[in-house]
Amino acid sequence: MGIREEVAFTLRGARMQRRVIGALIIRELHSRFGRHYFGYIWLFFEPLLLGSAIGFVHLLQDHSARFGPFEFYAVGYILYFIFRGVVNRASAAIPSNMNLLYHRSVTLPDLFFARHLIEAVSCIGVMLVLMSALFVVNGEIVEDPTKIILALVGMTLLSQGLALVAAAATEAMEGLERGVHALTYLILPACGMFFLVEWLPDWLQELALWVPTVHLFELMRDGQFGSRFMAHYDLGYVAAWILLTHLLGLAALRITRRRLGLE
Amino acid sequence: MSLELIDVHKHYLTRDGHKIILRGAYGKIARGEKVGILGRNGSGKSTLVRMLSGVEAPTRGHIKRSMAISWPIGMAAGFSGQLSGADNARFIARLYGRDIQRITEFVADFSELGEYLRMPMMTYSSGMRSRLALAVSLAVDFDCYLVDEALAVGDTRFGRAFAEKIERSGLILVSHSPALVRRLCTRAAVLDQGILTFYDDLDEALATYNAL
Repeated sequence: MGIREEVAFTLRGARMQRRVIGALIIRELHSRFGRHYFGYIWLFFEPLLLGSAIGFVHLLQDHSARFGPFEFYAVGYILYFIFRGVVNRASAAIPSNMNLLYHRSVTLPDLFFARHLIEAVSCIGVMLVLMSALFVVNGEIVEDPTKIILALVGMTLLSQGLALVAAAATEAMEGLERGVHALTYLILPACGMFFLVEWLPDWLQELALWVPTVHLFELMRDGQFGSRFMAHYDLGYVAAWILLTHLLGLAALRITRRRLGLE
Repeated sequence: MSLELIDVHKHYLTRDGHKIILRGAYGKIARGEKVGILGRNGSGKSTLVRMLSGVEAPTRGHIKRSMAISWPIGMAAGFSGQLSGADNARFIARLYGRDIQRITEFVADFSELGEYLRMPMMTYSSGMRSRLALAVSLAVDFDCYLVDEALAVGDTRFGRAFAEKIERSGLILVSHSPALVRRLCTRAAVLDQGILTFYDDLDEALATYNAL
């Protein structure tokens, strides 16, 4: 194949994939929420309610004077919500959608991409709502919204990479999904939702910065109130994680696909 | 435009050791041909259907497709019980890049489901479900329809419309029923103990199959 044919071939593939993912998104929305508007509202309210609940709990035991518990915990929870939702659902994605593979244009990664796009868009929406609410109630203005969006997108991509790996692993070894579920909760104290790196003692700071999600929480908070603390993050490190998990996950799914027996 | 098998092998690792479905199959099915594939129960017909449709990869060898082949009709091809029949049809239209309006109109007309088209598919009877699935697959308009025996093309209005539509495109019918193959196909192959043999003469194929 010459370069021109190669490009045309790739473009055709990209158009096909866009079509497939678009169709999957609409199908997922319809089957998850039915054709009722309430379902779509729930898409936004679930993270919003859970986030607010956590904000309230911390409101009762206010211990950090510099940040409101809402802007710290409720907003932080949204970022964690992406991680939890994407990684937890990973192991069910293949078994529950297996029959879609009868359509040759549907590939395993498409199943994930479609879901994650929905997740990311709804969480960005929730974030905007929460930010506006904080502005109306407290008069707080976010310092740099692009950093917040970037953190949400980064978290979606990182979770996606991990989800691809987790899905391939659970296909290879049944029962592993329980471990994945437990892990998403066990990581909670370490993921960066409950602390700023600068609060930690030096030795712990170094350890915390090995955890990729910590960088994303720092990035988001830098966007929220960066002038009030010293943010620690390295986006190159997060990008390396995203790249590595995607390479590993996509390669593993190729092997999974060949082994998958339908019906 | 055709479907071509080049040295296709398939085996599975099961608890009782290697299960061999195909050992080195060759064959070519051109566009518009109506070919039956006969095999006894347990000979690996369903696996062969999945391989021809492209959802399952051969262990070794190639299957070259240069015409649009349908998903295996009669297998649960990703229809969601929570969605209405119409929504499922629209999904397939989007997936295959077809005109949504045209597909839904065709399905409404062909499936004769009336009001049910707007109800979730989990409320359908199995007959209604297969009528919808068939209507949707015909609406997409493939070059070749891959049909598993589970399909009952009876002598109903629907069955006749289906047969008429198939008449104008190609068909690969995988079945254990010589009568069905005789009715719908012009040529046949026999799958037995991992060997797939194509016969140009339908009677020869049926005779071989009956002698098994």
